[in-house]
Amino acid sequence: MCKTIALICLSVLLVAGCNRRNAQSLELTLDWKPEPEFGGFYAAQLGGHFTKHGLNVVIKPAGEGADTWQLVATGKTDFATTSADQVLIARRSGADIMTVFAVYQTFPQGIMVHKARGFSSIKDVFTHDGTLLAEDNSWLRLLHKKLGPAKVKIATYSGGIAEFLARPDYSQQCFVTSEPILARHRGSDPQTFLIADEGFNPYTTVVICKADLWRTNPARVRAMVAACREGWRAYLDDPNPANAAMHGLNPDMDLQTFTEAAAAQKPLIQTDKPLGTMTADRWNALADQLVDLGVIDNSIHGQDCFVNP
Amino acid sequence: MTSQAAATIDRSVSVRLLDLRRTFDGGVEALAGITLDVAPGQFAAILGPSGCGKSTLLRLVAGLDRPTCGTVELHPPLDRRRFAYVFQDAHLLPWRNVLRNVALPLELAGIAQRQRQAAAVDALEQVGLAEVLRRYPAQLSGGMKMRVSLARALVTRPKLLLLDEPFAALDEITRQKLDQQLRDLWLAHRMTVLFVTHSTAEATFLADRAVVLSRRPARVVADLPIDLPQRRDALLRASPQFAAATKTIYQALERGGA
Amino acid sequence: MRGGKFIANVLPPVLVLIVVTAAAEGIIRALAVPMFLLPRPSTVLQYMAQHPADLLASLGTTAQAALIGFFASAVIGMILAISLSASSVTRRAFYPYAVFFQTVPIVAIAPLLMIWCGPGLAAVAVSALVVSIFPVIANTLAGLLSTDPALEDLFRLHGAGRWARLWKLKLPSATPHIVTGLRIAAGLAVIGTVVGEFLVGLMGSGEGLGVRIVSAKKLGRTDELFAAVLIASLLGLAMFAAVNLAGRLLLRHWHASEQD
Repeated sequence: MCKTIALICLSVLLVAGCNRRNAQSLELTLDWKPEPEFGGFYAAQLGGHFTKHGLNVVIKPAGEGADTWQLVATGKTDFATTSADQVLIARRSGADIMTVFAVYQTFPQGIMVHKARGFSSIKDVFTHDGTLLAEDNSWLRLLHKKLGPAKVKIATYSGGIAEFLARPDYSQQCFVTSEPILARHRGSDPQTFLIADEGFNPYTTVVICKADLWRTNPARVRAMVAACREGWRAYLDDPNPANAAMHGLNPDMDLQTFTEAAAAQKPLIQTDKPLGTMTADRWNALADQLVDLGVIDNSIHGQDCFVNP
Repeated sequence: MTSQAAATIDRSVSVRLLDLRRTFDGGVEALAGITLDVAPGQFAAILGPSGCGKSTLLRLVAGLDRPTCGTVELHPPLDRRRFAYVFQDAHLLPWRNVLRNVALPLELAGIAQRQRQAAAVDALEQVGLAEVLRRYPAQLSGGMKMRVSLARALVTRPKLLLLDEPFAALDEITRQKLDQQLRDLWLAHRMTVLFVTHSTAEATFLADRAVVLSRRPARVVADLPIDLPQRRDALLRASPQFAAATKTIYQALERGGA
Repeated sequence: MRGGKFIANVLPPVLVLIVVTAAAEGIIRALAVPMFLLPRPSTVLQYMAQHPADLLASLGTTAQAALIGFFASAVIGMILAISLSASSVTRRAFYPYAVFFQTVPIVAIAPLLMIWCGPGLAAVAVSALVVSIFPVIANTLAGLLSTDPALEDLFRLHGAGRWARLWKLKLPSATPHIVTGLRIAAGLAVIGTVVGEFLVGLMGSGEGLGVRIVSAKKLGRTDELFAAVLIASLLGLAMFAAVNLAGRLLLRHWHASEQD
């Protein structure tokens, strides 16, 4: 019953959003499908937090391959989610964007291995035979730099866990809130190592907007951030309503998985500081790492990339 | 010359068609019972309106198609490889030069390369094309291609030569030259010839006998001997005997409903 | 005279290339298009000049997979087409499954490729094969089925068996069709290779152009991305041109116009 009402509410909001964007409505583009990593945004919508702050927000999930920062930089959407290292890369590429909220305080990316292999860290993955499926990301470059030439074969990762399930010598990148839960449901016994434990810890699922919007209309950005924070607070307290709504939009993921993922991600989101806030130290540290890896040059400064409105 | 001619007559073959019928899958009746005897070494022209089933008849004789009923008998019985069949167009293989096109039937029969090349050169000399051995079909005129096709038919020293309107697509002058050449080749080899045409003049010039078929389904409406000299040349075409023979055939064609 | 003809053929497209590149450079500079949307041609060329060894190694990896995939699809495609041409019953029974190759999204079978072949060369070459084989099958089959019926009669009349008809008549007759199929397959093999590298390529030194394209996209390096795309396109063009040349040589006697 609750689920049905939630669905109807969402549908009404979505239909409303499909009409041409007017001055009052804002668009938030997600960098993936409706999953628990975006639970707070859906909770904000269900709980009326956007409306309370005078905003009419339309949430648009995106598929794979969408570089959401490009959509923001070119004005195709008002707000979007991405990760802090992508923000720095976007800045280097000439995109004038600003980070205003960070969901994950701890980088949720990990490497998932079969427990039977008896590994105790990512170093073990790198120094043994087998295959690691991964995207060529900043964190992979950092691991290369830190751990030296890999013995494991590294192949492009194109999503899913089919290969991992089929081959006991395969390891793969994962979101700790997603693939390991899925693998467990399919009868596998995965073990996950966090990339953050190797010293690479960018804020993730950060909300960005055009820097220009922050300069010209800070009140609007503040309202957006306040609503997101309230939504996330509500989601951490009770993820079930938003989970039901998201499951309606993304039926491929079952409710059980939603529940487990929401529980798994909680410690990565909640700290002793207010939800979503960031520090200049961590941004600068990340920028230094990326300069060190040759991903960006030192004209980009971490502290310029974010605000805590 | 005469002894050689006599020897070649010996190798010729008689063709006997007995109540030959052919009805196609769609129910179209092409041949409605053809009975015909062609003596060894005879040059028989087969005429009829277009689409009457002349080609079907030739294909049945060649064994490329089976009759619905009736029989084709050859005496003495003959290996199909000693047939030769000349199509309406030259149908040469564009990727082979002239020599290798002509040698093809012998190649398929498994004759050694040296022998088949010699035979091909010989056949090309007979049609007057000895100088273009290495050219490709694309480099030849329509008349030359047809002569290559003729040489390909002659290369097996056939006992039975089947020609299906071979010169129909050529211009009149080229056609008359090739008629002359074919008549001379027949005089030299005396193989049995069935020559399908729709030209009364061509039939008169080439053949000893004209078999006229009716409209589809084809039957024999006339079987006319052509009493003209053995050796024939361009002048003959202007003679009254030639005109008379042509007229007789033409009238038979009219009766057949051409 | 040959040299003159060559210049007459090559000069116009080269001029177009230079003019278009210069215009792109000018427009991108004038409009200050941000790098992440479209890099300036000069930036791309600069990247190529600075990393020749890396790019050549990538080209080598990709070219190797593309060539293996192309030759495999040529051989297997022709064999399949010959089998299909054998009888109308086999054709009706199996042709729908040959169409599968044309429609299968490579993304969908990527996990299978990875599991069966392991990542890297073999899986990538199979991807190139799957993407490029259909035009070979379809065109070869069309060629084999359009043999001149008079010539088939001639071959039968002279007692040619199945193999003689195939080798001496049907396959040579089908050559123009086969060349057409291979020309299409050459370009597709490069596409199949690059897409295969997106999905099942190996990372590390000498990684293929497709792997490089994905990395460059992830890391926002549009200059590297365009350089890799450009080189992949040139590879496709080179393979297309090579097949074209081979086709011309094979068919040089077929048409009077290509003589002299």
